[in-house]
Amino acid sequence: MSLLDNYYFRKGRNISLFLLLIVFTWAIFTNLVDGDWGSLENSIDNLSIFFYESLWPPNWQVLQPQSYPPCEESAIFDFKCSTAWIGMTETLKIAFVATIFGMLLSLPISLLAARNLNPLWVSYPARIILASFRSLPSIIWAILFVILIGFGPISGTLAMTFYTVGYLGKLQYESFEGISKDPLDAAEVMGLNKIEKSIGVVIPESANNLISQLIFMFEYNVRHGTVIGIVGAGGIGYYINLYLKFLQYDKVIAYLIIIFITVVIIDLISIYARSFFTEKENLKRPTWRTWEEIFIPEFLRLKYKKE
Amino acid sequence: MVIIEDLTIGYDSNKPLVSIDKFTVNPGEVIVLTGESGIGKTTLLKTIAGLIEPISGKVTAPEKRGELGYIPQNLGLVRHATVMHNVMLGANAGHKQFWTPLPSSIAKDSALDAIDSLGISNYKFKIVRRLSGGERRRVATARTLAQKPKLILADEFLSELDEKTKEKVQSEVLNYITNNNSSIIIVEHDLIRAKEMSDRLFMISDGKLKEHLTEEKSFSSVANEEE
Repeated sequence: MSLLDNYYFRKGRNISLFLLLIVFTWAIFTNLVDGDWGSLENSIDNLSIFFYESLWPPNWQVLQPQSYPPCEESAIFDFKCSTAWIGMTETLKIAFVATIFGMLLSLPISLLAARNLNPLWVSYPARIILASFRSLPSIIWAILFVILIGFGPISGTLAMTFYTVGYLGKLQYESFEGISKDPLDAAEVMGLNKIEKSIGVVIPESANNLISQLIFMFEYNVRHGTVIGIVGAGGIGYYINLYLKFLQYDKVIAYLIIIFITVVIIDLISIYARSFFTEKENLKRPTWRTWEEIFIPEFLRLKYKKE
Repeated sequence: MVIIEDLTIGYDSNKPLVSIDKFTVNPGEVIVLTGESGIGKTTLLKTIAGLIEPISGKVTAPEKRGELGYIPQNLGLVRHATVMHNVMLGANAGHKQFWTPLPSSIAKDSALDAIDSLGISNYKFKIVRRLSGGERRRVATARTLAQKPKLILADEFLSELDEKTKEKVQSEVLNYITNNNSSIIIVEHDLIRAKEMSDRLFMISDGKLKEHLTEEKSFSSVANEEE
């Protein structure tokens, strides 16, 4: 077979495999539905009824100060006594502390788990430890800690820390294993020991990735902070759960909008922060003009004089 | 310094790259290896460095911490760290017997001396990935000089440098070898420079390491063979 024939054979094989994957996925989905396609028929109508009768319009009372304890803030800042503000700031605090604690705990384990630093009999047990932290979703960790410690942000922080160790640890050892072999070879020949290689070569070489992952993990923890609150582990999820029980969906949607806005803001800050730690020096860093390009149609934008 | 006996090297035991009956490097010697690309020069350096297990035979080279310096072809620098951080890695290997969180003043002085001698003191706090190729080569050389090793393995350490800088880096490295009675094995493609630097010039061809006299006549034959 000539090189060209080989090329077309491989291309054809890849397309066939892709089509086969789609057919296979559809077959599994059909099996899951088990002939009950009728359940999909009224779904849009149901959603529409639920949305207009229960969810919309959002009840912005969640941004008003609670009646008890009395609010001591001035009238402009009295939203700081609202359940939305208290819940959201608590979620952010839990996410921040859990991310940093999780990073401190996961870093030594992930260094042990990196196969380019340690033999398999060290790296595999370390990987199993990280996998065990990761195998339980954060909400299960939260339930465990609520049983152990009781309701409140401490349970939430610990639950999220444990999950962060597993998740961040995996990202970290993948980064460590992805670094170039040459600096490690040079360090090996020089006679540097494992601690020196870890601190002097591996961590600085993957520092950009580590920082980027840390910011991503914080974002992730903020999103999940809402979920763990539902089981009583503190944060805005506590209030969502409260109003779900009372079927006050208009307040629930208000909380969800607040979470959405917060996550979008964190996402934008994280894109900006991560742009400082990227390998590509010429990557476009978001500025206020970028936001203008995203959110304002071209004909409404301010015109700038060229320098 | 280095003794090689009945060595066969390569990545696949069925396809050995180079076989060497006997090869020794004495203290104070400058050995230059040359030969076509992909012939096994880098593999030989890596085998001497202990990074690759030989297929058969024995290599005796300095084994203690800091005694062996290595400038890989791709330099092996920590790209996201500063020049000083990279050079300090070498200095710590050469001047500290074990890891401590604080740098020793001897290691620091040695690093600064190496940085000064190679003319990179202006950007010692710059991040390596922001430097040019030539500047990076000098950083890798400084890291090895700061280590003060007994044997240096340098894989094309002068490439990407302009003529003037090449002269400077070459003279600094050769001065170090002379003053410290150390040895160096250099992989170099430029035959003129190879002849100029070497005490003994070796060429790898047909899977064998062959020594060439560095006289004008025999040297021109090496050049012809290379062409």
